[in-house]
Amino acid sequence: MRNIIALCLLFGFAPAVWAEGYAYTIRATELKAKPYGDAQTLTTLPPRSKVEVLERRSGWTQVKSASFSGWVKMLALQLESNAQSKRGDTGLRSLFNVASTGKSGSTVTTGVRGLSEEQLKNAKPDAKALQAARRNAVSKQDAQRYAAEGKLEAQSIDYVSGGR
Amino acid sequence: MRTKQTLLMVCLLGAALPAASFDLGKIDLDKAVKTVQKVQKANTEIDEPQEIMLGDGIASNLLGAAPLLDNPPVQRYVNRVGRWLASQTERPDLPWLFGVLDDNDVNAFATPGGKVFVTKGLLVRMNSEAELAGVLAHEMSHVLRKHHLQAIRKGAQAELLTDLANDAIREKGGDPRLTKLVSAGTEVYARGLDKNDEYEADRMGVVIAARGGYDPYGLPAVLQTLQALNPADSNVALMFKTHPALDDRLGRLDDLLASGFEGLEGQPALEARFARELAAGRK
Repeated sequence: MRNIIALCLLFGFAPAVWAEGYAYTIRATELKAKPYGDAQTLTTLPPRSKVEVLERRSGWTQVKSASFSGWVKMLALQLESNAQSKRGDTGLRSLFNVASTGKSGSTVTTGVRGLSEEQLKNAKPDAKALQAARRNAVSKQDAQRYAAEGKLEAQSIDYVSGGR
Repeated sequence: MRTKQTLLMVCLLGAALPAASFDLGKIDLDKAVKTVQKVQKANTEIDEPQEIMLGDGIASNLLGAAPLLDNPPVQRYVNRVGRWLASQTERPDLPWLFGVLDDNDVNAFATPGGKVFVTKGLLVRMNSEAELAGVLAHEMSHVLRKHHLQAIRKGAQAELLTDLANDAIREKGGDPRLTKLVSAGTEVYARGLDKNDEYEADRMGVVIAARGGYDPYGLPAVLQTLQALNPADSNVALMFKTHPALDDRLGRLDDLLASGFEGLEGQPALEARFARELAAGRK
């Protein structure tokens, strides 16, 4: 963990364990002591409770306010959409020269290339680029080895049909 | 139109058969059977090689719109994650190929036959490999269920898809009808897919990522990040326009994940590997 933080500092990342910004609850939700369904329930937060977001662990988000701290279901939250929100900005944006969002119309889309609606409709094929992309393809075996390196274990899970 | 007439005639002939005597010439019957087979093929889907060929044409167009990110380590990383996920699906042997587009737009695309692209603008807003896996798996689901072909079929150039299935379009030598079909296929990305196809891809994406051993909350986490972006930003305009509302998608995933995914919450998200691989590809 210390290595990750060191690496993050080295590259100017804000690691996920740091404050990510603010969010509010979109429904009444239980505040848990730990990120598990059967963990102790500390209190129930009413809808529209404003919280500071600390960390996400799978389906749980660690939150705090002046009066409490604990874990709530991640999907009981909506992240606040303001420029202060760190979520989604791990420092990679500056690394890859991606302008930050928040300004409307910050990208001019009158050029020939780009992924706007008009540009897609008028796209000209670049078969050479597809050839070049193929050079990055990996074999099934290579992918499997890499997954094992990450301790990923294949699971047998059925698709689920729509509920709503 | 001619095929419809032929079909009608064949049907009439078939209906008349029991009443008629069986002394109809054998040759005529053979001919009728062959016609029926031909008409049936016109109504069936294009085959897999045709699907791949059409998808490659569309992929070339997408790459004409936005270039590939010139960063082989990052490209290889995305391919490793995607190829592993592909092995967890019902179409593991398609020529799957994954790529990062050098564009600040926040979006992802898949073309028929298994080419999947994610923009740099979306990639840098992710926080873990599980999030990347969730997005790739969502896109792969469109390929698995042939959502784009269905969208083309609903469009103005549906006939061309039938012609391709019916071998009436030459696949080599620059048949202008093929170019037209590829253009129609590319326009689907400006128009968007059917809402229900997006919901289905969300459900399948979560399952495929979980099959790959990832934290199943990767895709919802990305959607939650996108939900907090300013919808007035031009970089999210097309993605927002072509997809159902994020509140709605997240609500549905909330329902899905509450029904039996609790046991998978311990699966790795690989935040550190994601950060390391992207940093390694830094220029």
